[in-house]
Amino acid sequence: MAESSDLNFIEGTPAVVIDKVSMTYRTTSRSRDGSSAPAVRWKGFRSAVSRTKAVEVPALKELSLVVEHGESVGVIGRNGSGKSTLLKLVGGQVPPTSGAVYATSTPVMLGVNAALIPGLSGDQNIVLGCLAMGMTHQQIDAKYDAIVELSGLEEAIRMPMKSYSAGMSSRLRFAIAASIDPEILIIDEALNTGDAQFKDRTRKKMLELLGQAGTVFLVSHSMPTIKELCNRAIWIDQGELIADGEPDHIIKWYRMFTQKLAEGDRFGAMKLRRRMINDLEVADVADRNSLRRSRA
Amino acid sequence: MSTETPAKPQGPQPTAVATSVNLRDLRRVGARPPLLDYLVSLWDYRHFVYYDAQARVQTGNEQDKLGRAWLVLSPLLNGLMFYLIMGVLLKSGHGIENFVAYLVIGVFLFQMSSRAISVSSRAIAGNKNVIHAFQFPRASLVLAANLRELFANIPVLITMLVLVIVLPPAEEISLRWLMLVPVVGLQFLFNLGLGLILARLVSMFNDVNQLISYALRLWMYMSCLFFSIDKFDSVPWLKNVMEYNPLYNVVHLARENVLYGSFGGWRAWAILALWSLATLAIGMVFFWKGEESYGREL
Repeated sequence: MAESSDLNFIEGTPAVVIDKVSMTYRTTSRSRDGSSAPAVRWKGFRSAVSRTKAVEVPALKELSLVVEHGESVGVIGRNGSGKSTLLKLVGGQVPPTSGAVYATSTPVMLGVNAALIPGLSGDQNIVLGCLAMGMTHQQIDAKYDAIVELSGLEEAIRMPMKSYSAGMSSRLRFAIAASIDPEILIIDEALNTGDAQFKDRTRKKMLELLGQAGTVFLVSHSMPTIKELCNRAIWIDQGELIADGEPDHIIKWYRMFTQKLAEGDRFGAMKLRRRMINDLEVADVADRNSLRRSRA
Repeated sequence: MSTETPAKPQGPQPTAVATSVNLRDLRRVGARPPLLDYLVSLWDYRHFVYYDAQARVQTGNEQDKLGRAWLVLSPLLNGLMFYLIMGVLLKSGHGIENFVAYLVIGVFLFQMSSRAISVSSRAIAGNKNVIHAFQFPRASLVLAANLRELFANIPVLITMLVLVIVLPPAEEISLRWLMLVPVVGLQFLFNLGLGLILARLVSMFNDVNQLISYALRLWMYMSCLFFSIDKFDSVPWLKNVMEYNPLYNVVHLARENVLYGSFGGWRAWAILALWSLATLAIGMVFFWKGEESYGREL
């Protein structure tokens, strides 16, 4: 990274600091070889033991970001660019391969991925999910009806969750996750699923939560949503931060980029991408109290 | 990601701007708290632990027609099987006073531990979805698994005592039977400690899971469920090893108190208590050390 001489001094305390975070998934890949043809009697043995080989998939390259209170950050990018990985790291669901995320309070991820226990009934899952989020029984009692109403499950709430349709269980998961009012809120785009009635209801609830939360991260493919709800946008491509700034500005360039790709103009798109990176300024975070802070 | 990755944009790099921030009031997301804070937060999640344990006991056998009766039926059938093989065919119970009750107590109590250990060893690997969805001290999942087994085993214990009373030669009920409570309590602590250790190991190497069932079977034969420890009088070192086996001591103390009207001796109590407390302490620290890793995908 090119060094800059000027120092950016951030007054007060930021809400979220993402410090050189990167993420590499380790997974297995079925090996395609067979051309290497070892002695025949070994073949069966070898294929039984090592059909697959371990591969590393870099999902997110080193990324730093400082987000202050009151900022709502829209995250945009193509499919598989690392948006959801970034949110998972901020939410603490997955530990980063390197770097660290600091936050004033535990960020809460609002998504339909909050999988619960299929064998238990809907109402049991509500109680369990709320307890897992650290609520007390009194708080749950106060919110229970609102959760059931938001989920729109009515009678089905007493049936085991494994009997639910995909839409029903995602509604329940959303309703449970939305029941706490977090200071730092993370929203994944998957909320745009469901029928029109539910979409409307979740949208209302989301706006309500957005109003309460101090800081928001929002992943969406819908540019109007980002424009409407966010006052800052970041663009991630292939695990790299490309741009960071005013939503209108970033979205304009992002649209141009995707348009070029759609037209098959890879060269032009990559040129644009390079230019965006060139213009980008990233924070090289240093803690003022670093002498006292321990990383443990 | 697209396969036709365009020429890696090595050229342009963003400009790094040195940024000074005040991190004093910020905490690292997902950071492992100090051990004491961890224990306190575990206590704060006691309602979650209790609810999880209780709810899953209720729905555990819903798939089966006989439902929760299996909680009692399975150790019963197990006991019957060992009785046929060991008692009738191999006559391994020769010389043991009230062999049927001896066998019943051994098999029932051992199965409590073996179930608790194998269930709690999968508590992390099998609950990845809950771990990804919520932030809570992960040890509560292992604790809940053990508590669930304890709840599920209350009818099992009652069946065991009923069998001891009913099956000839009938035993008399005495106050000494209350000593079962501390025995089962220590057994619970031991299971929990071992479960914590295994849960982290399984989350690191899933292969460990395969070994556990073999280890448990070996352990079963080493715990004198269907023969007397006196069989090993001729091999003193083996007998010594067996006497230090925590689950042998669980079974031994239960038999002494329920069947043979004896306290069981301080030595056995001390060995069991030491095992339980030490395993729990080691398990807790070992599990806590890995707290940040449990969300990781394998």
